[in-house]
Amino acid sequence: MRRAILKVTWLLLGALWSTPAFGQVELGGSYAIRMHEDYIERGPGSFLGDFTGMPLSDEGRAKALRYTSSLPSTIERQCLAQSPWVGLYRPLALRFWSETDESGRVVAWVMGGDYLRDTVTIWIDGREHPSPNAWHPSSGFSTGHWEGDTLVVRTTHVKTAWIRRGVGIPGSDRSTFTAFITRRENLLTITTVQEDPIYLTEPHVVSRVWEFDPRGSQGPLRDTCNVGVEIPSLEDTGEVPHYLPGQNPEEDYMVRTYNIPKEAAMGHAHTLYPEYRKTLRSIYQPPASCGRYCCGWIERQGLPGAAPGLTCNDGNLPPAIRKVLTGTER
Amino acid sequence: MKSVFAVNTAFTLVLVLAVDSAAQTRGARGTVASARAEAPVDLTGQWVAIISEDWRWRMITPPKGDIVSIPLSLQGQQTAEAWDPAKDEAAGEQCRAYGAPGLMRGPIRMRISWQDDNTLKLETDYGTQTRLLRFGSGTTQTSRSWQGLTSAQWIVRGGGRGAPRFGSLKTVTMNLRAGYLRKNGVPYSERAVFTEHWDVHSLPNGDKYLVNTNVVEDPVYLQAPFQTAIHYKLERDTSKWDPTPCDARF
Repeated sequence: MRRAILKVTWLLLGALWSTPAFGQVELGGSYAIRMHEDYIERGPGSFLGDFTGMPLSDEGRAKALRYTSSLPSTIERQCLAQSPWVGLYRPLALRFWSETDESGRVVAWVMGGDYLRDTVTIWIDGREHPSPNAWHPSSGFSTGHWEGDTLVVRTTHVKTAWIRRGVGIPGSDRSTFTAFITRRENLLTITTVQEDPIYLTEPHVVSRVWEFDPRGSQGPLRDTCNVGVEIPSLEDTGEVPHYLPGQNPEEDYMVRTYNIPKEAAMGHAHTLYPEYRKTLRSIYQPPASCGRYCCGWIERQGLPGAAPGLTCNDGNLPPAIRKVLTGTER
Repeated sequence: MKSVFAVNTAFTLVLVLAVDSAAQTRGARGTVASARAEAPVDLTGQWVAIISEDWRWRMITPPKGDIVSIPLSLQGQQTAEAWDPAKDEAAGEQCRAYGAPGLMRGPIRMRISWQDDNTLKLETDYGTQTRLLRFGSGTTQTSRSWQGLTSAQWIVRGGGRGAPRFGSLKTVTMNLRAGYLRKNGVPYSERAVFTEHWDVHSLPNGDKYLVNTNVVEDPVYLQAPFQTAIHYKLERDTSKWDPTPCDARF
């Protein structure tokens, strides 16, 4: 009997000792988007020629300026909008679930989202990253470990992909990402640090918030990119829509529309820091009024619109969309 | 009988250890240590905002009526449309966009240091503002201010039995003077509550980022909580600190 008691005691003590001093945070579930930052990039898509906030290299800038809105219509480039962390620039929800081994131990967290077109598996079982010469899947290869309430993720083996939606800012297949995923109560914060020796001059940092949504606002995952040619004239022609250097008509769009200095619109790293305001102070004049996407959040969420006479109103929504969002065609 | 006693003893020992483990996890060790001594993360230093998001709304003053991405109520929209910086200047309220909820999203450098063992001081060059993040109870402030009254608490994870200790800071700010979430007069009221979660993340190369996940709740001017995450980078070179006064226009 004593031997049995001792055995039980040691088993219990062993279990206690082997339990981590802090538990993993439960990430599982659906998270609703909160587009309170970068609404235009995440919703309708960036304005052409808007590279503000980006630390682009000369090569990255030149490549972005060759972009036209027709480019994604070519079959070979329809998946360039997808990358493991593209969700930070998309208007949709995310979902996390865990993968376990036969003993029930979590070996990976999986992230899915409508625009990823793939799931991102974050291995936390201690495995190594594959050889640099290994296959680059659209989801890249990710490993992670917990630091307190934060899952720290390292992503490599990505494909070439656009960083921002609808504007052609490129990220190369030599990009690596460090991501920090923190769930705190119902809020999920994801911060990514993208390093790219080809198209960026310094790490590109983005931080976003989602909110846990037990009803799950996310639709079904799309498992492929579109494969249809959307512009018939491009079919079977081999033509790659582009602008030649110096001929992009939207290169000055932000200058003429928002009075922003061209170097800021073109994504030079030094324009991301407060000291650049010294330059701005002497030359910036705000536009007389807001002309486009002034109240996008309200439009998007279908919340009550503006009072008559205000600049911000949701009067541009087609009735069918308004009905979906608000339940009324008014 | 002896067997029952032995079993009880064994379970008691396990329970005691379990309770001790949990207590260490919470950082409670039976003595009242200062917030400075208990800090699970070092927030001190000079941090610079990286304006890689919402550049056009944070680096410069957008035109009146540009309220994109902020879930304003109708009253909030009407107030934003009525923005008049000249009126703010005349009233001596050039700092309306420099209250805590607007300040943190601004193009700032901030220096965080310990004012005393239970108070973190946050100073910004942008608008030369000072926020005090106070741990523990007993702080009172009756008058409203741009920076309000902030209560702080550490959220501690790990640390038991020699395990790595992690953590973050949670702050809640109230007692604010009504101000602006955005430089172009997008308002928050004096009933606003500003909740922030402060995390420090490190890269293998030694770079450190401070991420401030925050929620502004305002029953007057917002239809829903305004939720954002703002990131800053730790600066070793502090020479770019550049105090500038509040400006109602730029």
